[in-house]
Amino acid sequence: MSIKDYLKDRTLFLLVNFILFIVICGIMLLVNISHNIIFLIFCIWFFPVFSYIIVEFIKQRNFYSESNNIMESLDQKYLLTEIMKEPDFIEGKVFYDLLKQANKDMHEHVKKYRDMQSEYREYIETWVHEIKTPISSTRLIIENNQNDTTRNIHHEIKKIEEYIEQVLYYSRSNNVSKDYIIKEVPLATLVKNVIKKNSRDFISKSISVDIETVEGTVYSDVKWLEFILNQIIGNSIKYIRESNGNVKVSTTRNENNIVLMIEDNGIGIAEKDLNRVFEKGFTGENGRKYGRSTGIGLYLCRKLAEQLGLGLALTSKPGEGTKVSIIFPLGSVNLLG
Amino acid sequence: MSKIILIEDTETIREELKTFLTRYGYDVVAPTDFDNIINETLGEEPDLILLDINLPVFDGYYICREIRKVSDVPIVVVTSRDNEMDELMSMNLGADDFITKPYNTQILLARIESILRRVQGSNNGEILAYNDLKVNLSNGSLTFKGMTVELTKNELKILSCLIKNKGKIVSRDDLMDFMWNSDIFVDDNNLSVNVTRLRKKLDGVGMKESIETRRGLGYILP
Repeated sequence: MSIKDYLKDRTLFLLVNFILFIVICGIMLLVNISHNIIFLIFCIWFFPVFSYIIVEFIKQRNFYSESNNIMESLDQKYLLTEIMKEPDFIEGKVFYDLLKQANKDMHEHVKKYRDMQSEYREYIETWVHEIKTPISSTRLIIENNQNDTTRNIHHEIKKIEEYIEQVLYYSRSNNVSKDYIIKEVPLATLVKNVIKKNSRDFISKSISVDIETVEGTVYSDVKWLEFILNQIIGNSIKYIRESNGNVKVSTTRNENNIVLMIEDNGIGIAEKDLNRVFEKGFTGENGRKYGRSTGIGLYLCRKLAEQLGLGLALTSKPGEGTKVSIIFPLGSVNLLG
Repeated sequence: MSKIILIEDTETIREELKTFLTRYGYDVVAPTDFDNIINETLGEEPDLILLDINLPVFDGYYICREIRKVSDVPIVVVTSRDNEMDELMSMNLGADDFITKPYNTQILLARIESILRRVQGSNNGEILAYNDLKVNLSNGSLTFKGMTVELTKNELKILSCLIKNKGKIVSRDDLMDFMWNSDIFVDDNNLSVNVTRLRKKLDGVGMKESIETRRGLGYILP
C-alpha cells in the first residue's frame, strides 16, 4: 500500500475540505480579513486533517504489510485468519469477521468432501475384500476342473485380480501413511515373490528370468514394494514380443543408495513418450499399438514410490528394451541392517 | 494320512478346497455348523487347522485363541483381509502361518506340507514313495531296490511333482510352474535337460521306462 494509493482513496474527503476552505477563503477576502489570519485558519483547519491522514496511513500500512508477510510465509494460506492479528480499526474488524466466517464455511465444505472421500475409500476397501472371496472360489473351481477352458479363465481371472489390486492401491495412494508398515525387506525374497506371482506368464511366453545378482536388504513396506515391482515386471512381460524374451533383475549398492534394476528386452518406449510414462492416463505409442494399457500402472508406481521416499527412473530404447530402476536411499534408518 | 479341519463359512470355497485338498491326499473335515465349532474341531483331533477370520458366531481370532488354550495343533489362518495388523494379530494369537486370499493353491499346499513336516518330524513328510521307489526329500536321494543315487535340487523337484501327481499327466507348463513356485526359475531347455538326466538316473538304479513323455501333453509317472 503506497501513500499515493491511500491519498487517492481519500480524494473526496480532501476535495470537500479544499472546496469548503476556498469558499470560506473567498468570503473572508470579500470582507477584507487580513492574509495572516486566513493563513492561520488554513493551518488550524488542515494540520489536524493531515496529521490524522498520516497517522491512519501508518497504522493501516503496518497492519496490511504484516498480514502480507504472514500470508507469504504461510504454507496453508487459508490459515491466515488464525494467525494474523485482529485489526483494531472498524473496516478491518468488519472484514476480519467476514473472512473468518467465509473460512469457517470453507472448512466445513472441505470437511464434507473429505468425509465423502474417506467413506468412498472405505467402501472400496470393503469391496476389494468382498470380491476376493468369489475370486478365491473361482480359482479353486478352476484348480479342481483343469482343462483348456478353465486354464483360459484362470488367465483372465489373473488379470481381474491385477485390476482389483490397482483399485485398492489407487484408493490408498492418497493417504499412504495410515497403511504402511516399515520392516526389513530382503530384496531377493521380494523379487522372487513377484516373479512367482507371474510365473504362468513367464512360462507361457517362454521368458527367461535372471535374478542371480539380487542382494541386499532395505527398510520399507513389503506390500507396497511388491505392488510397484509387480506393475513393472507386468509391463516387461506385456511388452516382450520376441521369442527369446528375458527379464533381468539386479541390484547395485552405491555409497548412499541401493538400486534395484529391472531390465527387459521388449519393444521399448519411443523417445518422445519417455518423459510422460509416469503421467496419469498416458498410454503413448505402445498403448495405442498394443492396447490393454490404462496409463495408471506407472503413474501409481511413481506416486507410491514418492510416498515411500523411493526414487523411480526409467530408460528405454525402442527395439532394445526398457530398464526401470528403483532407488532406495540409505538413510540412517536403512543403515541399521 | 494327515487330517485337516477346514473352518470356512463360504460354501463354494469350503467345498472346492475340500475337493482340492482331498485330491492331494489329505483327510479333510469341513464343519458347516459354527455354533459349537471349537469343541467340534478339538473332538476331531486334527493334524492341522485351516481357519478363516470372518466367520459367523465366533470370529477366527476367538477360535484361534480358544484352541491354543488347550492344544498345540498347527493353525493356518486364511483370510481375504490383506492387512499387516491382521497378520500380526493372528501370529500373536498363536497361528502358525497366515495366507491371504486369493491364494495360489500350490503355495497353500506347500505351506501346509512344510508345517506338517515340521510338526510331525521327519518320519512322515520327508519320504515320498512310488511303488518300490523311495525319494528322501531331506537329503535329496532316491532309493530303488537297495540302490541309492543322489539327485540335484531340480531333479528332486521334478520327481516329487510327478510322484505327487502319479497316474496323471503333468504338462510341461505345470511342471515349470511347480518349480518356479519353489524358487527354481528354469526355462524350457533346462527342463528338458533335467528330465533327461533324471531318466538316466532312474535307469541307472534299474527302474526302466519310468517317466513317460506324452507328446504335446507332458510327462507322466504311470
